[in-house]
Amino acid sequence: MILLLALALVVTLLGGVLVGGWLDRVVAGRGAGPLRAAAALAVRGSVRTEAPDDLLQRLAPILYLALAAVGLSVVPFAPGAALVESPVGIVIWGSCEALTIIAVFLHGWSPNAPFPLIGAYRYVAIALPVMLPSMFVLIAAALPAESLSLSAIVESQRDIWNVVRQPLGLPLFVMVGLTLTLRGPMDYADAADMAGGTSAEEGGGARLAWEIARLAMLVSVSAVAAAVFLGGPLGPVLPGPVWLWFKTAAVMALIVLAGTSVTRTTPSRMLGLIWTIVLPLSFLHLGIAGVLAL
Amino acid sequence: MILALVLFAVWSGWRVFVVDSMVRASFSLLASFVAVGGAGVLMSASYIGVATVFMMAVEMMVMAIFMVAFMMNPAGLNPMSMVHQNRLSMAAGALAFLGLSAAVLTADLPDRPVPPETRVVFDLGLELLGPSMLIFETAGVTLLATMVGAVVLSSQQGRFGSADEGSRPPGLTENGEPAGRVPDESGGHHMHHGGHGDHGGDVDGASDHGQGHDHGGHHHGHAAKGDPS
Amino acid sequence: MTLTIVLLGASALIGIGLYGALSQQSFVMLMMGLELMLNGALLAIMGFWSQGIGGPPEAQLLAIIVMAVMAVEMAIGFALVVAVYRKRQADVTESLGTLKG
Repeated sequence: MILLLALALVVTLLGGVLVGGWLDRVVAGRGAGPLRAAAALAVRGSVRTEAPDDLLQRLAPILYLALAAVGLSVVPFAPGAALVESPVGIVIWGSCEALTIIAVFLHGWSPNAPFPLIGAYRYVAIALPVMLPSMFVLIAAALPAESLSLSAIVESQRDIWNVVRQPLGLPLFVMVGLTLTLRGPMDYADAADMAGGTSAEEGGGARLAWEIARLAMLVSVSAVAAAVFLGGPLGPVLPGPVWLWFKTAAVMALIVLAGTSVTRTTPSRMLGLIWTIVLPLSFLHLGIAGVLAL
Repeated sequence: MILALVLFAVWSGWRVFVVDSMVRASFSLLASFVAVGGAGVLMSASYIGVATVFMMAVEMMVMAIFMVAFMMNPAGLNPMSMVHQNRLSMAAGALAFLGLSAAVLTADLPDRPVPPETRVVFDLGLELLGPSMLIFETAGVTLLATMVGAVVLSSQQGRFGSADEGSRPPGLTENGEPAGRVPDESGGHHMHHGGHGDHGGDVDGASDHGQGHDHGGHHHGHAAKGDPS
Repeated sequence: MTLTIVLLGASALIGIGLYGALSQQSFVMLMMGLELMLNGALLAIMGFWSQGIGGPPEAQLLAIIVMAVMAVEMAIGFALVVAVYRKRQADVTESLGTLKG
């Protein structure tokens, strides 16, 4: 059973990375297919900056990818069947979110170059406050389930999905997803206005690893959103994993679409938006969810 | 498994004070916390263990930024050591370790593990919002007071004007010449004219202006003493 | 056996943390030493809770208090470092002989 679930996790991550690369191409409407782009990156030479922190540079994409895998491991593929069936599933996911900020910071810090460093600082300033709405949204989803376990949260959505019961949850979580996957309006790390930000000085295999980790995190955050708001593996006729895959792909498309259709503002204005609008909104969301769950 | 995690926690804790790079030091400390959290999860304290990882990830991110901001040579590109009373500290640390270890090894430790069927997280939740609510709320109010205190302490604009008004580095000796950098003051321009004569013959306005600025805030007569070059 | 290992590890962490808190000149590194000592305390508490006293729920409150203490120490510590640096331009303990404003 455990082997089967581990296999499902690997298949989901690999397939999801491919689907994510394909979505990026379709939505952005340019570039080569994901496999060809990966091959092109892989054969390109890598860049070496002056006095980089080699250990942390290698660690960053590995940590990012590992966090995506750990985050996905708490998502149930069938009702009550996650690889890591923990009573504190969403806290584990929250830890993955927090550690993702560190992975991105390390990626920007280690090359010892200005653009990556500025990208890393900007990202940390934006991503740390984004953790707060993320926690409130997840806690709100845990209230009707009366449990921190993702399986219990899925189980609590048998009658009505959380996306209906807590309508603010999914949009707020999509914002968290944009932050974690460095996309669109929340991409303060790898943005084009910084010549690639934390990836500015990177090419070849290292860049490829980073892009794969980014797409893996997109799969992971979408799977969590599917489980928390769209009932995860619950659905008629088709088996659980298939439903989860469909819903994950839908959330991935939503995040990719939101990433390309919303523009990015300056970090200071975004910081103001997060603290004065998004955070009170998530408080309100939590309050409503709490009253409804009584 | 627990042994490996504990050993890793101790090793990375030791690395904190060995590595040159401040970012590496912060994240070594984080690795130590993660290992302790993992050990907690293995010892069936799943909520406390995972919450430690979550909290410390955010905390050490902030710590790393402060380290870079406040340390010279934060990237550790040059080896450096900023310690005082090193021998004494080592002795104190070793003594603490040996004393506590002796206490652990000689004491008759109780052996009553958590029963495997306990619903640890469920019980903790009931406890937090039931009998121990006062403790929980006290922690909450303390954190709120901390937030207010931190903002008051660190805000630049206070009730009585700017926080760094009249800022003066401490002297190297008692009531002595200030150490470190001297903040820019409007007096710097005034000094610039005073110092002009000392540099006699130097007519390069730009470089002289910069030097005059450095002297700002010092006494006239001691201008040369405070010159960092 | 587990409890012995855990407690020995905790005492090692406290020893290293004490060394750091006493020997480091920089305020920020000093705080890392304090954090490491609290880390050791947290490990010891979790060890005792799970192996020694049969896991009563109220004992986990102690661990939560330690975590709150860590948060308070960080927040107030950094605020003090910022305030002291503004006033005195001091970032190492030596340059701060007195706390008088």
